[in-house]
Amino acid sequence: MRKKTFAAAALLAAATLTLSACGSGDDGNSPVAVVSEDTATQAATVLDTPFEKPDLVLTDTHGKKYDFRAETKGRPTLIYFGYTHCPDICPLTMNNIAVAKKSLPKAEQDKLLVVFVTTDPARDTASELGKWLKGIDTQFVGLTGDFATIQAGARTLGISIEPTTKDKNGKLVSVHGTQVVAFSPKTNGGYLLYGQDTTVDDYTKDLPKIIKGETP
Amino acid sequence: MRRLAGPVAVLTGALVLTGCGSDDAKAQLSVGSAYMPQPVSDMAAGFLDIANKGGAKDELTSVTSDVGPVSVHETVGQAMEEVKSLDVPAHGQLVFKSGGNHLMFDKLKHTLKQGDNVTVKLHFAKSGPLTVEMPVKSATYNPTTGH
Repeated sequence: MRKKTFAAAALLAAATLTLSACGSGDDGNSPVAVVSEDTATQAATVLDTPFEKPDLVLTDTHGKKYDFRAETKGRPTLIYFGYTHCPDICPLTMNNIAVAKKSLPKAEQDKLLVVFVTTDPARDTASELGKWLKGIDTQFVGLTGDFATIQAGARTLGISIEPTTKDKNGKLVSVHGTQVVAFSPKTNGGYLLYGQDTTVDDYTKDLPKIIKGETP
Repeated sequence: MRRLAGPVAVLTGALVLTGCGSDDAKAQLSVGSAYMPQPVSDMAAGFLDIANKGGAKDELTSVTSDVGPVSVHETVGQAMEEVKSLDVPAHGQLVFKSGGNHLMFDKLKHTLKQGDNVTVKLHFAKSGPLTVEMPVKSATYNPTTGH
């Protein structure tokens, strides 16, 4: 009986949604437009419930063990999941952050941790990752290791990645995450999300706040 | 919503026009907004727009360059897939932009820096090839802001 009531309620909810979707078409006040206006001025999505830091114990670009929670504790930290055989979004995202970081005072640049976790550990060995990141920012941290660990860590941040596969031509296809997560130095919580269209200017505006654990 | 309605109406109009049978049933292609963000490694992405003023569609079938092998990629979700060809619709355009379709340069023969120019040749199913000078811009170049 209870199940039936639930289904009815769901149906009703669906009907309401449909109705409101129709209605919004006429008044030119659709929620879609509102969202896009918001992102034009504010790049970050502020999370009401911040993410806990992922339990990632991996290998850094020097081949040393890197415990993400321990190493980044109390530090303003950005994390991104990508791979180096990625011509477009991964280098763009990392370069956008790198350029914005350079506009910070030196002391603040040293405080900020930017961590790139590979989604393609088979190709992105510690040294490959190191070589690639050196071309972007020598202070960036690169992590590689067991794919299952990386995937599970990403999942706790709401980031879904899949293992590298071969396409029909035998070429390797990898997947990158779509978001950068910023962690507060005060609470250690992942409190801000940045999508892949975040620009240098957006990061330049927000990094000084992130360094202090403030909300942009 | 209202913003969307405009282009849709225009598109429909264009489609109707094509349907009515235009005289110039041939693709007329031109290329604009080409750029390559300064690459980090021996791999790079290239972006451009191919406009078609003509009344027939064409297909981009391959891309060549003297800097290294080039393939055409489509972004599907979070992964990119190599494709054999992409349509350039009649009275429309084929857009390569960050996060969407892109040209992928693999195994670049030499390091490319901002200020360099890459010569790219686009090959089509029907029209003759087009040669494009693709400037290398900063690694964070954004075509909407121009820097």
